[in-house]
Amino acid sequence: MSERALKRVLLALGIVFMLVFCLTPFIYMIVVSVSEKPDFLSAAVDFSATLANYRDVLAVRSLHFLDYLRNSVAIGGLVALITGGIAALSAYAVSRIEFRGRVFVPLAVLAFSMFPQISVVGYLYKLMRAAGLINTYPALILPYIAWTAPLAFWILLSYMTRIPRDFDDAAFVDGADRLTIFRKIILPVALPGLISAMLLVFIAAFNEFLFALMLTSDHSARTVPVGIALFEGLHGEVPWGYIMAASGIAAFPLIVMSLYFQKFVIQDVTRGALKG
Amino acid sequence: MGLGNRLSDRRTAHLFILPLVVVMVVFIVVPVAGTFVTSFFRDITYLEPAFTFLANYKRLASDAGFWQSMRFTSLFVAVCIPVELLLGMVFALILNERLPARGVLRAAVLVPWAIPTIVAARTWELIYNYSYGLANWVLALLHAAPQPVNWLGSPLSAFGALVIADVWKTTPCFFRITLPILRPVIAVALIFRTIDTIRILDLIYVVTDGGPGGSTTSLSLYGYKFFNEGDFGYGSTIAVVVFVMAFLLSMAYLRAGGFKGAVE
Repeated sequence: MSERALKRVLLALGIVFMLVFCLTPFIYMIVVSVSEKPDFLSAAVDFSATLANYRDVLAVRSLHFLDYLRNSVAIGGLVALITGGIAALSAYAVSRIEFRGRVFVPLAVLAFSMFPQISVVGYLYKLMRAAGLINTYPALILPYIAWTAPLAFWILLSYMTRIPRDFDDAAFVDGADRLTIFRKIILPVALPGLISAMLLVFIAAFNEFLFALMLTSDHSARTVPVGIALFEGLHGEVPWGYIMAASGIAAFPLIVMSLYFQKFVIQDVTRGALKG
Repeated sequence: MGLGNRLSDRRTAHLFILPLVVVMVVFIVVPVAGTFVTSFFRDITYLEPAFTFLANYKRLASDAGFWQSMRFTSLFVAVCIPVELLLGMVFALILNERLPARGVLRAAVLVPWAIPTIVAARTWELIYNYSYGLANWVLALLHAAPQPVNWLGSPLSAFGALVIADVWKTTPCFFRITLPILRPVIAVALIFRTIDTIRILDLIYVVTDGGPGGSTTSLSLYGYKFFNEGDFGYGSTIAVVVFVMAFLLSMAYLRAGGFKGAVE
């Protein structure tokens, strides 16, 4: 066999392995979610398709999946808005104003972005309990803002650093102040960066598990990941059909969002922040 | 710009970064400090807190459960990270070829990364189900095992099961960073993934809950179990250990990443 043919065979095998490896669990999840009996892979059970799992998960109130979904979307949306605003303001300052702490603040933010969640969650619980906020939206929104701000800040910083300072200077000559320049000139130019930062923040907040597990106790504030992790059936057995249907509903929009934005975001971050 | 302008400019800058600094201090720095302080106390729900200084740390030294979770976490990092890096580079090599439908292939590889961790964890939990999971069905189909494997029933197979699930979920993280193959970027990705794996909790919480016999309990999960029982003093002590490990690595991360140059 020629070297070229060998390479083609290896490549084809590699592609098949890659696709099987990456997609099998996802396809399995979807198949189980539309199966009447989730144990259809055992010898005695046949597969038959149904949409009942999706219908029940969305319609049976005592499963509370819609509550979890509403909580997750509301919390994730609010966190994305607030974090986006906070991060844009600070990235603007660091990217174009000389001040003490201009180098220290971004590095400290980055260093603290890598804290393990376990090292704050116990004390957060005590703080939130003292404030009477356990099992409310603010109990999750407030820590999520701090937890996602570094990511949004660094994306926006790498974005704004590439906007020429001439933009600001020209506006200065016209007598505009910093806040006006930020709102009217820089923010519109940095909008794609802001949107992708907010999207990543939303995804992070939507997926977060440990804070939500510790700081909520029932469907009034519990989010989708905790709901799915603790899902119990109406009769006590593990309701795999429901769990996989709920998983499919939670995963689908996230896959679409991530795939749509990942290329753009990652190129941006690696080009701006890592290579310097 | 005049001196007065520059002064007011600085004040503006401080105002602009104030919200970021405030949320980071109140919801990260303060809780981390609070965790350090709490680790010097006997702090258990319904009991009067008592300052016991290093008693919790002495307890760590002789706590078999702590050392078991330390061993598990280190082994898990040592096995997962090289496998993920290798597989990620293989994927990157494949996708760098001129292929038809390369966009579709790229999207397929990113699906595991895009799926929420808890969703992935429950799917793998079902895959490993003894009587009707996909893993044993495939083994039977290939005649690869004489009888079904009790994946989550023995320490070794549960460890392997978690490694596979973690590799599946996080290989794209490497892949998407290693695509422009640059050595400093790989170093940064390696450190970042190591920090991420050291603090792992959610995947394990769902798939094995630390079992069998505590053999797959990560440090974070071990600490969480004390918090969950209301033992904040000892839980905080374990959390401090995880924090110190992650902090040392993040210092290396900041150096390797050249972030200081990026800001200046």
